[in-house]
Amino acid sequence: MPAIVVEGLQRSFDEVLAVQGVDLNVEEGEIFGFLGPNGAGKTTTVRMLTTLLLPTGGRATVAGHDVIKQARAVRASIGVALQEAALDPLMTGRELIRLQATLQGLPGAEGKRRADDLLERVDLAAAADRRVGGYSGGMKRRLDLAAALVHGPKVLFLDEPTTGLDPVSRKTIWEEVRTLNDEGTTVFLTTQYLEEADQLADNVAIIDSGRIVAEGTPDSLKTEIGNPHIQLQLAAGSIAEAEKVCAEVGRLLPPVDGRMVLVEATNGAADIPKVVRALDDAGIAVESLELVRPTLDDVFVAKTGHHIKVPTTSSAVASA
Amino acid sequence: MESAVALPQWRANLATIAALMARAKNELLRVPGAAIPGVLAPTIFFLGLNGVFGALTQLKGFSTGTYESYIVPVSMLQGAGFTGAAAGVNLARDIEQGWVDRLLVSPAPRWVLLAGTVLAASARALIPATFVFVIALLLGAGWPGIDGLLVTYVMVAAMAAVAACWGSGLALRFKSQSAAPLMQSGMMALVLMTTAYAPLALLQPWMRSVAEVNPVTHVIDAARQGFLGGVSWAETWPGIVALIGLLVVLGVWALREMRRTAV
Amino acid sequence: MDRHSLPRSEAVGLEALRVNARVVRALGMRSIRQTFRRPQLMAPIVVFPTLLLAIQTGGAGGAVNLPGFPPVQSFLQFMLAGAMMQSLMLAGNSGGIALAVDIEMGFTDRLFSAPIPRYTIVLGRLAGTAALGLFGSLWFLAIGLIFGAHIESGFTGALIAIALVTATATAVGGIGAAIALRTGSASVVQGLFPLVLVVLFLSSAFFPNELMIQPAKAIAEYNPLSFVVEGIRGPIISGVDATELGEAVLAIAGIVVLGLLLSARALRHRLRVG
Repeated sequence: MPAIVVEGLQRSFDEVLAVQGVDLNVEEGEIFGFLGPNGAGKTTTVRMLTTLLLPTGGRATVAGHDVIKQARAVRASIGVALQEAALDPLMTGRELIRLQATLQGLPGAEGKRRADDLLERVDLAAAADRRVGGYSGGMKRRLDLAAALVHGPKVLFLDEPTTGLDPVSRKTIWEEVRTLNDEGTTVFLTTQYLEEADQLADNVAIIDSGRIVAEGTPDSLKTEIGNPHIQLQLAAGSIAEAEKVCAEVGRLLPPVDGRMVLVEATNGAADIPKVVRALDDAGIAVESLELVRPTLDDVFVAKTGHHIKVPTTSSAVASA
Repeated sequence: MESAVALPQWRANLATIAALMARAKNELLRVPGAAIPGVLAPTIFFLGLNGVFGALTQLKGFSTGTYESYIVPVSMLQGAGFTGAAAGVNLARDIEQGWVDRLLVSPAPRWVLLAGTVLAASARALIPATFVFVIALLLGAGWPGIDGLLVTYVMVAAMAAVAACWGSGLALRFKSQSAAPLMQSGMMALVLMTTAYAPLALLQPWMRSVAEVNPVTHVIDAARQGFLGGVSWAETWPGIVALIGLLVVLGVWALREMRRTAV
Repeated sequence: MDRHSLPRSEAVGLEALRVNARVVRALGMRSIRQTFRRPQLMAPIVVFPTLLLAIQTGGAGGAVNLPGFPPVQSFLQFMLAGAMMQSLMLAGNSGGIALAVDIEMGFTDRLFSAPIPRYTIVLGRLAGTAALGLFGSLWFLAIGLIFGAHIESGFTGALIAIALVTATATAVGGIGAAIALRTGSASVVQGLFPLVLVVLFLSSAFFPNELMIQPAKAIAEYNPLSFVVEGIRGPIISGVDATELGEAVLAIAGIVVLGLLLSARALRHRLRVG
């Protein structure tokens, strides 16, 4: 049975249609990545699936329950990590998890036991009796995650779980998500980080301006886009010139910043000499050149014509 | 982690209300100085009212010699109004900061979530009420008798619950702390457009008409009994009915607003 | 004197003043716009004192029959000044809250890291408070007229009342700003809302000083706000009295000085604490 089924889900705010007919299917035991830029409708969609917001059209079921008509049952089956905003700075970590246990209807002793276990698991046992207000960002996220798990939910919603965290904390959260998934929890993960979706998700849906623009496994989506591209950083001289020259060698792609030129490389690395020669002939100096393999951002660009956000180049391959 | 087996709903509800009330006390105990304005304000208001309008007892038609006795129940009820409104402000802050999402996403019934806030306010209101009562006694207000005091305290607790419903409803409606003055003004008007300042006969004609239809007039009269004389059922039951009525109306409205937060 | 003939440092001084004035104006416009764009914030500042005015005239209006009560046309006429005082105190409080919200949001960090003198930040905020004070004074004069209370000194009297209210609002705003800067917490400043009322009770805002009960009577006698209230009330219930006016102005000056001192210290604290 699918864990989450969404059909034509819609949400408008006054005149604005923030989510315009979203269809999704998340299988049980899957990690599902919901990817898109800020303002695309990710959070709005998650809020509808977690019964915090009523859809203005369409329907959805989570863990087999309708989000509108069986909201209580949905809430009993899901765990939601709402980011650090939903923590109380005056409470201690332990108090918060135990409160969450009470909200979920767990008996006191059971709640206590689970709180202890979870705090241990997310490595917060030492800080458990300190006030949340003094926790670091990473600690708050781990606490949020632990609280979301206290009742052993079937479906876990993580809304941008690693935004603003340092790389080490991010890795820790990723490992925890994988472990949870191995234990059988379905995970619905929203993120603006391509790498996160790439690394964690079994299936991905990309949303832009309230619509799903792509759906599938990360690999299948990237294969669909197919070709790597050559990324050129120009030393000096006219971008327009360089673009003209490159356009004759291969298809141009929209640049991410002003000094860059991107050319599709249908033959992979074999296209590099062609481009270099063409620019050399035209007397255009290149500062660096890199062969970039397709990423989910490329998928995004192919489907929408713009980038999710400015990507950071992984490493400079060649410098002039 | 394996799925947990939950308590029977009624027990889970009670546990949730208790847990939310326990959290509410953090506001007083864990924030240094936070309790002070709420506890002191009614007392200072009492001293102020007494100092400013005390001379009114010289007017013909005032049933008692001391203005202290006349207004201490008003101050206690006003404290209840402040406390309840403050609970609304705290709820608004919790909404703004996202905490309430945690409550709304849980399977706890909405009325349970509201009850936690309201009952906490009721309990908390007894503190400033006691403070102003003790000060008033020291200043010469008459001892109301145990029965009178009991009636007053019940009125205070219930009034705080009414105010908390009002404050919570507004918080859920506007989802913003900027509604705070409205929460406090509303309660102030409700408590003071009554026989708060003077007996019915001495009020200006238009105020007299308002006081006659304002249910809280009955609450004040009931709360005031012990301080002015003896307690009787005839004077008490209108106050109880008024409070029940207000609780029902405002409570239902607040609950509606809570259910509508998803809209 | 031609600007070019000024020594260089003075030209800079004048120019600096001009630039700062622009900054104050810009921040002031923001503060005023913020104030009037959020009616739910503004309304309580006028609605609440109006409510209390109604309550107190309705509830305690019989007081005009007390022996020793100053000759007035009506209790409303007496109370208008008190209502204006309350409104301006709330305006000062609300200005403080707005500043505290700016601090909590981090907007003030943006201002602090700009090359502007610190005082422009506070002055800009006070512009909003002054506008509110002005609005309040006009509101209550209108209420008075609608419900039949004359301004005994006519147009001049009204102008004096308006000027005093606006000035006091700004002065009180300075104290509100100081508290905001010191605590950086909107909820703390908000929590002072009932205390505003308290301070007014301990003045002659709501009752003639002679008829108040001890010890409130004694406190009210020396409360600077009493002098301000009398200055505002005088023109409304009788005539303009130079001594009353002078005392009011002095009291306002005192509050201004206090506000400046507190603000300066609070600013230093804020910049140390970050």
